[in-house]
Amino acid sequence: MGEHAVENTEWPIVLHPELPSEAWSMKERYGSEAVYAAGATLLRTQWESGAAILPSYLIDLGSLPDIREIRVEDDWLVIGALASLSSILGNRSLIERHCPAVVTAIRNIAAPSIRNLATIGGNVLSGVGDSIPALLLYDAVLVWQDSQGEQEQELGDWLLRKSVHGAAGSRLLLRIRLPLLQSSPSNVGNDPNSSLRRFDRFHKVGRREAFTASLVTVAACGSFDHEGKLADVRIAAGGGQSVPSRLREAERKLTGKIIGESLLGELYDDIICYYEPQGDLFASAAYRKKTAANLIVAELWQQGSGAGRGDGDAVESGN
Amino acid sequence: MLLNRETSGGRWRIRPDGPAKVSGGLAYLTDMTMSGMLHGFVLRSEHPHARIISINTDEAKQISGVHAVLTHLDIPGFNGFGIANPDQPVLCSDTVRYIGDAVACVAADSPEIARAALKAIKVQYEPLPVVDSPEAALKSGAPKLHPNGNVLHTTAYSKGDAEGSFAECASIVEETYDTPRQMHAYMETEGGLFLTDGEGRLTVYSPTQHGLKDRMQLALILDMPESDIHVLSSPIGGSFGGKDELNVQPYGALLAIQTGRPVKIHNSRWESVRAGLKKHPMRIAMKTGIDESGRLIAHQVSIIADTGAYSTLGAEVLNFATEHVIGPYRIDNVDVKGVSVFTNNGVSGEFRGFGGSQTIFAMEGQMDRLAAAVGMDPWELRRINLRMTGDPGPFGQAIAQTDGALQVWEAVRKHPLWTERRSTAPQAPWLKEAVGAAIAMHGAGLGYGMPDTAGGRLRLAADGKIEALFGYEEVGQGLIASLSQMLIERFGFAEEDLRIIIGDSDVVPDSGSTTASRATSMMWQTLQRLEAPFAAKLLRRASQLSGLREEELRLGEGGIWRQEGSERIARYEELARASAEELSCDTTFLYPATSMKRIGAHFIYTYSAAIARIELNTLTGRVKVLQQYHAVAAGPVANPQGYLGQIEGGSSMSVGFALTEDAMMEKGLYAARNLDTYLVPSIRDMSGGIEVEAIEELPEGDEYGPRGVGEIGSVIVAPAIAAAIREASGKWVAQLPVRPEELQQTPPFIAKAVNG
Repeated sequence: MGEHAVENTEWPIVLHPELPSEAWSMKERYGSEAVYAAGATLLRTQWESGAAILPSYLIDLGSLPDIREIRVEDDWLVIGALASLSSILGNRSLIERHCPAVVTAIRNIAAPSIRNLATIGGNVLSGVGDSIPALLLYDAVLVWQDSQGEQEQELGDWLLRKSVHGAAGSRLLLRIRLPLLQSSPSNVGNDPNSSLRRFDRFHKVGRREAFTASLVTVAACGSFDHEGKLADVRIAAGGGQSVPSRLREAERKLTGKIIGESLLGELYDDIICYYEPQGDLFASAAYRKKTAANLIVAELWQQGSGAGRGDGDAVESGN
Repeated sequence: MLLNRETSGGRWRIRPDGPAKVSGGLAYLTDMTMSGMLHGFVLRSEHPHARIISINTDEAKQISGVHAVLTHLDIPGFNGFGIANPDQPVLCSDTVRYIGDAVACVAADSPEIARAALKAIKVQYEPLPVVDSPEAALKSGAPKLHPNGNVLHTTAYSKGDAEGSFAECASIVEETYDTPRQMHAYMETEGGLFLTDGEGRLTVYSPTQHGLKDRMQLALILDMPESDIHVLSSPIGGSFGGKDELNVQPYGALLAIQTGRPVKIHNSRWESVRAGLKKHPMRIAMKTGIDESGRLIAHQVSIIADTGAYSTLGAEVLNFATEHVIGPYRIDNVDVKGVSVFTNNGVSGEFRGFGGSQTIFAMEGQMDRLAAAVGMDPWELRRINLRMTGDPGPFGQAIAQTDGALQVWEAVRKHPLWTERRSTAPQAPWLKEAVGAAIAMHGAGLGYGMPDTAGGRLRLAADGKIEALFGYEEVGQGLIASLSQMLIERFGFAEEDLRIIIGDSDVVPDSGSTTASRATSMMWQTLQRLEAPFAAKLLRRASQLSGLREEELRLGEGGIWRQEGSERIARYEELARASAEELSCDTTFLYPATSMKRIGAHFIYTYSAAIARIELNTLTGRVKVLQQYHAVAAGPVANPQGYLGQIEGGSSMSVGFALTEDAMMEKGLYAARNLDTYLVPSIRDMSGGIEVEAIEELPEGDEYGPRGVGEIGSVIVAPAIAAAIREASGKWVAQLPVRPEELQQTPPFIAKAVNG
């Protein structure tokens, strides 16, 4: 009917770097016109919803070597950024030994078909992924590729800077490193005579039982000494568009204490005070705050009352 | 009988269309493609309410690869559609009234080019104030959305003196119930393939619940005789009422005619959410009173339904709601007023339950509140007031009598879930388990005064297949399976003897719509009418062939058999070959209707009572359905799998209605525009067991056979969940979906330490 040709600009050009440094150079060259793509499960929803426009270039990370491996290296558990969420669940036994809450968190992300594509790197780099609170418990470190080669950065530090300075620029996330639990002084494994009892927990609350974005995520780990005092308590919370963070005030308050009603009451108040979730049309900030406080307090009550005793696994809660 | 694989025995059959569906091999109509086909797209309004100043398609038409850009000026016939009242423009000319309103449509060589063309169409709008609630629409000075104002329809029903009788009541409960804008969320979004044959005949491959109605509506729009339109409408990847009305068909048809090329349209999920029908959100205010013995004395109801921008079946939904808001209860003094109001909130229309889910939730809520108010057992309160055999329907109309209400009531009373309901012990102090129950009667068929045709045809095809022709559609409910099973069980045919022909307007008779829980009933009644004459024709021919007397013969697998012994006299193929004229029988009749002259009043009802066991997590306020029990009195089970599937599937819609689903709107715009934020229950939400008890017994002499079960499962669970929540939390639920924040509690072991 018409004469004017439409240039088909709708689809991006897909680039296939073979080395991390090459990927980084491509991103440097095209800047904001290029986007790294791994599983692209989140990107796809953003393009569809109009939250992001299709870029001119997609840098497909699928051909990069070594970046999807899960292995133990020295005192670290190393998870390649391109490891799919299902491959992490496939390596459950290894990962559960060192960061049980991460397995629970990942098992509750999206649905099986999506977990086959989605990567841990993508989940972390979204800045609000459900794996983040769990990873924060274990002091995860991000290993980046940039102009200087490989750089390390604590996950918590990256989240903080991201919220202040925005996204990562051209840096490419290569791996996530987590200290092995054996190296932690509080771990049971090193001392067979110790009566230390450890717990690692993760809870996700969404708007349905599965395949749902989170409203609230909480993660907690720690141990009890032989007197029932809490040691090395770590608590993190996130969910929805809230940037996950450790709740350091609460952790400090609990360390060295025996769980009791008044301590839990203070903990509850602290979480209400320090946890700053974002509300939306589906759930208010007040609801999210209260839910996080309820879940953390109830978890500690359960641990303290011994209800969680002997149950070394992280448990999930879809509720 | 508890309905499951074991109890069904040999009646539990693999459905004929099952393997292809489960394996993904089946091509739905929206999977069809054709060489040389164009891609059709629709330009939809940018505003929920605006005046159109101008539409300029010049630039879009200049794009290479674009074959047609159509506006209201290009519609040869009537620019409107709507099953009951065709007030929705096919393509808007001067005003847009919702965010899905169509302004132009495009056919191009590729989807990319078509989308570029949509972008190139310049529409100048003058935004108008958005009428975003029925209350706002009813205010004086509100923008007028239609020439006759903002009221689509009003209803009233009264009996006795409700207002005056409250004085006699020992206890009165007043509550206002709000229900969500639920989406059908069928897996297959709207679409189809449209083509012309060069001689003016149009073929439409597009899913719909009533192919002949689509043909009629398209004929008016296209200004074509109906005989020039061929509608192929099955199989369908889910509808639930959502594809009853026209959706993309007018655009595909117009574009195919204009270009002379095949045109494919298939909505994205985003477009489906934006343009498609939803369930009517209703605000139902009730004031209900009982006397000292618990007898209902007075019931006053006001219903306000948000019908959105256009009519479709909004008026009929309100009629249905007005009837069902009275429930299965005898009440001497009733006063119901309903109003269905135009707004700029999408389009509300036909949805499984048809006004039943909203009203039954409200009525059952009243019963539970009244029982609590006087300290009575809620189930006992229901029995005292239940309609018994011999009682008329909610409007006082004559209905087909059954003992259904008492039967399902009794089934719940005796069920262990109900009798042991107070003995469940929580696993953690913040988990509360509880049980709730609800009862309902749900009308089937379109109701008095509506065009409720039924019928079908049986014939022996030339190749010896027994053909069953019906104007019904396979929407996933298992219609083909049910029809096959009825033919096999009634006539003794083998599965291989049969050919089911549906969803083809050129060959099927007018059987009426596949809606209102009517298709299985009407197929059964059709076969009931055709059994004797059709069998007689076959046997007569067999008798002529074999020289045996008709009485010595019977129909059976693969052909005609001797009554005695195991000798097959003739295969159906031989019978067909020996017949000069076609052996066929058909029948046309009307869905049985009540004698009361009240539009929409129902005659045949299905009864159901359900128990829901739930777990409330007070830490999160979230509710999980652990177990369901449904007692359904709907006459004989035509197809056990189909029956079970309808109740289970319906119940998941009711769980969604109760717990997660709401297409929320803000100023006429959808807040959740995809299935990642509009949440239907997942399998994990539905993992609790569902027990279905089918009460098949009907009174002696009942001539209506199986009642419909297509909707009953979808209206009964939400009120049972609400009752269970009250048991668990002490809080009444008056708004759905349930809001977790209202059910949250601070854990008991820290409450002392927390301020406030």
